[in-house]
Amino acid sequence: MGDLTPEDKKGIGNLDDPGLPFNYPNREYGTVTMDTTRARFQWVSEVAYKNVHRIVTRGYDTTELMEEGYGMTDVLFVDFQARIASVEEDQMLNYVMIMALEDGLSAPAAVSRLVAQSKTFLTQACGASVHAFGHAYGAYSSFGNRLLDELAAGRESGLDIDAIAQGIVDENLNDESLGVSDLMLKDPAAKRMVARAKKLGVAGEYVELMEAIVEKAQAASDTPVDIDMLGAMGAVMMDIGFTPEATWAILAVTRSFAAGAHFIEETERAEYRRLGEVLTLPEMYDGPADRPVPSLADREANAKPALTTDLDEWAQQEEERKSVWGSGYSIFEEIEDPSKKTGVKSVGK
Amino acid sequence: MSRQADIERKTSISYKTEEKTVMRGFNLSDLAEEGYSFTDAMFVLFQNRIPAKEEEQMLRYEMGVFLEHSMSPSAAGAIGVAAGRPNLTSTIAASISTFGGVHGPGAAHGYMMKKYLRRAHEEGKTVEEIAEVLVDEYMDNGLPVMGMGQPQHTDSDPRAEPIHLKQEELGLNGVYLRLQRALEKYFHARRKKEGRDYVGVNVVGAGNTALCDIGFAPNAAWCIGSVCRGFSCAAHALFNMKRGRAWAASKREPMVQMLDLSMIKYVGPEDRIVPKQADRAEYAKNQKEEGEYKKWVI
Repeated sequence: MGDLTPEDKKGIGNLDDPGLPFNYPNREYGTVTMDTTRARFQWVSEVAYKNVHRIVTRGYDTTELMEEGYGMTDVLFVDFQARIASVEEDQMLNYVMIMALEDGLSAPAAVSRLVAQSKTFLTQACGASVHAFGHAYGAYSSFGNRLLDELAAGRESGLDIDAIAQGIVDENLNDESLGVSDLMLKDPAAKRMVARAKKLGVAGEYVELMEAIVEKAQAASDTPVDIDMLGAMGAVMMDIGFTPEATWAILAVTRSFAAGAHFIEETERAEYRRLGEVLTLPEMYDGPADRPVPSLADREANAKPALTTDLDEWAQQEEERKSVWGSGYSIFEEIEDPSKKTGVKSVGK
Repeated sequence: MSRQADIERKTSISYKTEEKTVMRGFNLSDLAEEGYSFTDAMFVLFQNRIPAKEEEQMLRYEMGVFLEHSMSPSAAGAIGVAAGRPNLTSTIAASISTFGGVHGPGAAHGYMMKKYLRRAHEEGKTVEEIAEVLVDEYMDNGLPVMGMGQPQHTDSDPRAEPIHLKQEELGLNGVYLRLQRALEKYFHARRKKEGRDYVGVNVVGAGNTALCDIGFAPNAAWCIGSVCRGFSCAAHALFNMKRGRAWAASKREPMVQMLDLSMIKYVGPEDRIVPKQADRAEYAKNQKEEGEYKKWVI
């Protein structure tokens, strides 16, 4: 090991600075000793456990569940809600998942196909496709949490469903996670889903609230709007007991099956793309015109430091830098403590 | 607002217009309204056909038992990623991405079965004869026989044999189950003869056999299994995100956490002084000549 604290160890860079929070030259080496005052680490779970002979989720042996005639969608109720679903609830979940399975060549399929082009595992493409379910395309978390919060707050204030819906529309008419838009004006799929929920007797307060939101949004909007798939799926999933986050997860994973099919088709029908193969032609480029690289000797003359030292200068720079697309200066994020939620409320432009 | 697809492709899987979404020719709403299940839709997606009732039951069973597996690489991956509190989708993506060569290697097992069935067909052997060839070729070369053995369920995976039995009960015992059964029989006999421990069939060996017999190609089967696990991993991630502490290192928890400093055991090179820049050239030369560093290169 040798001498780890030689005299000349002092004086390394800034490590003798008196402003540092502790004595850097004398810091201890070695790992931290075992903490025997607390229990050792274990994988703590309230979802599931297994031993050599059993796999048990929420108290139910999974093989016994299947042998009793339950199916995959029943396990979703058990895993996420710790309960056996009614036949109608399970039918409704199947309906929603069929509708969530395919969406043509939208982002999840496109992502899966692009990953497939690089010649990798199918599972990497399926995993990547799940990332496409952000807070616009897969806005189930923000949609559902808004309904949850507004319903709870409205009830506490003595508001009825109509008033709660009006408040939601007043604040969020043009929000991508409202569940009302012009996307489904010609496609009856969303309305059929709501009708099926009612027919099965599983429609509850979230479908009721959603219908009121649609009515208020139609009155407030200058252009035709109606319930879209986010609104229908989100409300129905919450009425059969899934949280906004569980809904988000289940429907994103559901699409990932189809992303697998798109991976397979891409592999079967298209070519792999090699590094450097794809060109981006000048017609697609609108950045600075071609220009000579200044000599290194002239660096100081050409350099534009980013440093600003007063707020006026800073504010001016913030505005000017917005003209550089790709710099990030045109994106504003409203920060909430992400450890408290699984997604922030507002991310993007 | 442009509603054009993100990429241009000719696809035989689906199309979507302002009026409807159609998969393999079926309007998705009509499929759901008619009362077909999600597992029915998987046959349409991957095989372009409506399955027989028994086939749908088999898939429902297989996906149902595979969905949840408590702490496997997939759940551990999701929980590990969740510690940093990214979006929920990142934990799911991580969990699905753990399915590689040894965790649920569904495609490989399927391709293995197809390879040996093709050989049997070409060489005029029976399924039982080629099963013995398969086992011998793997074991003679010191390779694990895919579909056999599970590190946690050492007496045989509790899901596996019931899947075989369900497949037989549903009358779906096709050529793949015949091969798998023959393979297992010979595998057990050979290990016993060699005085080796019993190694049971795992869920890939059983589940993938069933999926092959109901028409799913190896990659489709792999997709079904791996993605299905994403559902339960989302539940594990959510549990940790909603009930646990971010970072998984809090000293306020009664149990030492996954990322507590005391969980780190270091077995690398001994602590050593960072050489001065003035000594760098000589130090680097000596280090390279001594070559001790090579045992740490990975």
